[in-house]
Amino acid sequence: MQNELPLVGQPFAFNCTYPPITSGEVNVTWYKNSRTPISKNIQSRIHQDQTWILFLPLAWGDSGIYQCVLKGRDSCHRIHVNLTVFEKRWCDDGSRNDLPNLSDEYKQILHVGKDDTLICHLYFPKSFVLDSITWYKDCKEIKGKRFTALGIMLTVNNVSTEDIGNYACRARLTHTGKQYTVLNGITVNTTEITGYGGNIPKIIYPKNNSIEVQLGSSLIVDCNITDTKDNTNLRCWRVNNTLVDIYYNESKRIREGVENHVPFQEHILYTVNITFLEVKLEDYGLPFMCHAGVSTAYFILKLPAPDFRVYLIGGLIALTVVAVSVLYIYNLFKIDIVLWYRSSFHSPGTVEDGKLYDAYVLYPKPLRESQSHAVDTLVLTIMPEVLERQCGYKLFIFGRDEFPGQAVANVIDENIRLCRRLIVIIVPEVLGCGLLKNMSEEQIAFYTVLIQDGIKVILIELEKIEDYTAMPESIQYLRQKHGAIQWSGDFTEQSRCAKAKFWKKVRYHMPPRRRPSPSPVQLLQHTPRSHREGRWKDGTGFVTH
Amino acid sequence: MNKVLSCGKPQLVDIQDTSHRVWILQDKTLIAVPRKHLTTPATIALISCRHVETLKKDRGNSVYLGLEKPKLCVFCEKVEEQPTLQLKEQNIMDLYHQPKPVEPFLFYHNQSGRNSTFESVAFPGWFIAVSSQGGSPLILTQELGKVNTTDFGITMH
Repeated sequence: MQNELPLVGQPFAFNCTYPPITSGEVNVTWYKNSRTPISKNIQSRIHQDQTWILFLPLAWGDSGIYQCVLKGRDSCHRIHVNLTVFEKRWCDDGSRNDLPNLSDEYKQILHVGKDDTLICHLYFPKSFVLDSITWYKDCKEIKGKRFTALGIMLTVNNVSTEDIGNYACRARLTHTGKQYTVLNGITVNTTEITGYGGNIPKIIYPKNNSIEVQLGSSLIVDCNITDTKDNTNLRCWRVNNTLVDIYYNESKRIREGVENHVPFQEHILYTVNITFLEVKLEDYGLPFMCHAGVSTAYFILKLPAPDFRVYLIGGLIALTVVAVSVLYIYNLFKIDIVLWYRSSFHSPGTVEDGKLYDAYVLYPKPLRESQSHAVDTLVLTIMPEVLERQCGYKLFIFGRDEFPGQAVANVIDENIRLCRRLIVIIVPEVLGCGLLKNMSEEQIAFYTVLIQDGIKVILIELEKIEDYTAMPESIQYLRQKHGAIQWSGDFTEQSRCAKAKFWKKVRYHMPPRRRPSPSPVQLLQHTPRSHREGRWKDGTGFVTH
Repeated sequence: MNKVLSCGKPQLVDIQDTSHRVWILQDKTLIAVPRKHLTTPATIALISCRHVETLKKDRGNSVYLGLEKPKLCVFCEKVEEQPTLQLKEQNIMDLYHQPKPVEPFLFYHNQSGRNSTFESVAFPGWFIAVSSQGGSPLILTQELGKVNTTDFGITMH
C-alpha cells in the first residue's frame, strides 16, 4: 500500500508500473475502492490516461483507496494507493497561523561547500507541459546569483548552512488547454559530510616489515587503515592468497579479529587485527597480507636474534652447579681421595721439620676397670698396631715411651714439641671422673697446643659424648676448632685394619705417611742428627730405644 | 560516536539518488520515491564479497545488497531473456560466508565522487537504475544516463 497526501485544488497524477513492464503487452485498469472502474474519458475530472490516474484537480471527496490491476500475458499484479486529500496553508494565508503540517513536505539535503540542486517533484504524463517554476524560501521568492532554476531543478552554488530553510516551488502546467498550479513544500537541510569513496585506502601499518617473535608465543598484529567515508572496501587478512579464517579453518590457530572503526572529519580509521594463538615454525618467512580494497601491505615473522645474556647466565649457572657438585663429591670422598693421593704421589721419607714423632698420644686413666681397659687396649695395643706397624707412623705414647724417673713435666713439654700431631683420647666426664683434670700432662699439652698453636690436634672420643659442657673448656675449644672422631668401640680384628673407616679418618688427620713398617732404630737413623743434638741435650740416648 | 563492527557484519546505509529520492520497500519491491517527511527509507545492508580475487577489480568493489528487515537480498535473473532485478528471501551473511562468490547476488560498486553505481556481476553492463521521474521501481538497465538514473548516493547509518 502506497500512501499519497496530495493537496486539495491541485492536479494529481499517479502512474501504475510494475517491473518488469514492457508496454503494449500489459493491460492496466484503475479502480476506486476495488469496484468502480475509473473513467477513461479525458474530459472527466478523474480519469485514466494509459497507465496513469489523473485528478484535475483534486477535490475533498477524492480521498480513498485506489487500485490498479496490471494484466500481462501470464501475470497479474495489483497496486494499491491510499489517497488522503488535505489542505495546505501557504504563506499567502498570513492571517492563519496554524502549525505547519509537514506530512506532505518533501525532504531534501544539500551538501555544504558544493554546488547542489533542489528538485521540484512533478510527476505527470508527458501531455502536461511545464510553463514555469517559481522558487521560494521562507515565503520569499528566491533571487540572486547563487541560484539558477532550470526545468524542475534549482541549482544552489557553494552551499552553506544558511541555505537551511523551508522552500517551496510553484509550478504552472498546461494540459489540454487548461492551466494548473502545483505547489510543493520542501524542507531543506544541509550535510557537511565531505569524504566520499572512490579514493584508494591507505594502510598505515603493517609496512611490509618483519616482526621478531618467539616460537610458541601468541601474537596480535593490527592492520591500521584510513579510508574515506561511505566506502565499501573489503578489509581482511590473507595468507597465500587465501583469507586467514579459511586458510586456518580447521585449527583456528590464526584468526582475523574484530574490525573497529573511528570516524574522523575527513576519513575513517579502521583497525582489523590478526591473532596468532601460537606462533609455529611454518609461520616464519610467510607474508601475512592486510588487504583494504586495492591496497595491500604485509608483515613477516622472524625469529628473534639470540640473547647472549641468557646464554651467559645459563653458562654461569651450569658452572656453579658443576662446581657445587664437585665440592660435594670431594667432601664425600675427601678422606679416600687424600689418602689415595698420599699413597700414590707422596714420596716416602721424613720431612725436614725437626720433629721426631708423628703424634703424641694423650689419654686419660679412668678409674673404672672396664674403661681403663678399653683405653689401654686402644692406646697401647690397637693404635701402635695400626698407626705404627701398618702405616709406619711413630707415636709417643705416655706410659710407654717415657723414661722412668724423668721429670714428667719436662719430658711431656719437650716430647710434645717433637710431635707433629696431638692425639687426645677423651671419655665421657660422668664415666671417667677426673679425666685428665688437673694433670700436668694435659695442661702442658694444651698450653703447647692452645698458646703456641704449633700442633694440630686429633680428638678421639672413646664413646659418644652427649654433653661437652661438662668437659674442660680447652677440650670444648678444640672440639669446636678441629672436630672429633668417634671410636667405633669394637676391638675385633676388623677394627685393627688401617682401612677401617675410623682409622681412615685418623690417618687423614695425621701427617703424610711415613715409610711402611720401619723399626724404631731404623727410623731414628734417618732422623737428622742436628735435631737430636739441638733439642735433646740430655736425653738423646734414651730416646733411641 | 565510535562504532564497533564485528568481523563480517554488513554496513547499514540509506540509498538515495541525485533527485532526492530514497529507496523504500513496497509490496516486496524496492522503489525509489521522492523523500517526504513521512517516508521511511529502507535500511540497506551492504557487505563486500570476501572472494575478491575471483572477480574483476577494475569495476569496483563487489558487494552483496540486501535489506536489514525483512531479510531480503537483491539479485539479478533473466526473465524472458531480459536481466531483471529481483528480491529474494535470503540472509546476506549466508551469502557472505559462501566459499565461492554468489554472482547473481553480487554487484560491482563503483564510486565516483559521491555517486555510486551498482553493476550486476552476473550481467556485466547492466546497472541498477530508476526512471528519472516520480516514484518508480528499481530496475536493471544497460542504457546509462538517458531515461534512467544509475547514480546513487550512500549514507551510512
